[in-house]
Amino acid sequence: MLWKDKYELGVSIVDEQHKELFQRVDAFMQTLRSSASWDEKVQQVNETLEFMKGYVVEHFRDEEEYQQRIGYPGYEAHKKIHSDMVDFVLQVSAEYEKSGFDEKLMQQFGGKLLAWLINHVAAEDQRIADYAIEKGVAGNGNDN
Amino acid sequence: MAMTTSLYGSFLKATGNVFRMMLDLSDISAQPAESFQCENELDISIGVVGDLKGEVIYRFPHTTSLEMVNIMSGMEMDSVDDFVTSAVSEIANIISGNVLTLLAGHDLNCDILPPVLRKPDDTKEYSLRTACCISTSIGAVFLDIRLNQG
Repeated sequence: MLWKDKYELGVSIVDEQHKELFQRVDAFMQTLRSSASWDEKVQQVNETLEFMKGYVVEHFRDEEEYQQRIGYPGYEAHKKIHSDMVDFVLQVSAEYEKSGFDEKLMQQFGGKLLAWLINHVAAEDQRIADYAIEKGVAGNGNDN
Repeated sequence: MAMTTSLYGSFLKATGNVFRMMLDLSDISAQPAESFQCENELDISIGVVGDLKGEVIYRFPHTTSLEMVNIMSGMEMDSVDDFVTSAVSEIANIISGNVLTLLAGHDLNCDILPPVLRKPDDTKEYSLRTACCISTSIGAVFLDIRLNQG
């Protein structure tokens, strides 16, 4: 299981989305790392990849909206981190399709995504939570 | 000498912070560089540009690399394959990014290049050279810092 309770930030709306995001990435990792041969699992990898990509974009958008609602001062910098990651995901996806679904590319992508996501949630997103808690808007961001 | 000490301290602090935050490691300590011993390792180079130029080589023993990815993923990794190499490379990237933030506090503005699997280039000369061995419960990590100013 990828999710750990220590990743909880204390901001319910963000925590719920993070749990969902980790579940999607977890499903992708489990498929990617299963013992089946690449030929056997490539279709399922592609399906979970698409499913996960969709949610990453959706989550980033929702999280950015939340940051704006609470007046988070690091909004622009955080948005840039998100857009850089989305660009990376799109670039790898395009390269992966062009390569005819090369396993090496996807294994490399999975490894980077794992470490990136943990650092992003545990470090970058913690700053949003610290701000929300300090301002007393950690519930849903609508009471700002 | 002061600059080398500052660099050493920044890398040590950033590595400790990242290991605590991402891997739940608490028993992290600096050991003499000479104490690092390893037969199979991942050598990951992070290029540095800006006020400081050069590279930092992170040496992660295979056993340490596998443990790191096991902790993060909750899955048992049994070989240092493309997935593990990429995850460990990203950790080197994250540590280096944290070092940049610490250096910016000393008015040193630098940027980093994407991680590359590479042994150090011993033909180049560096005025700022230092190394540290960071010991943890899942093994040691060696940092070989090779930089020039300006």
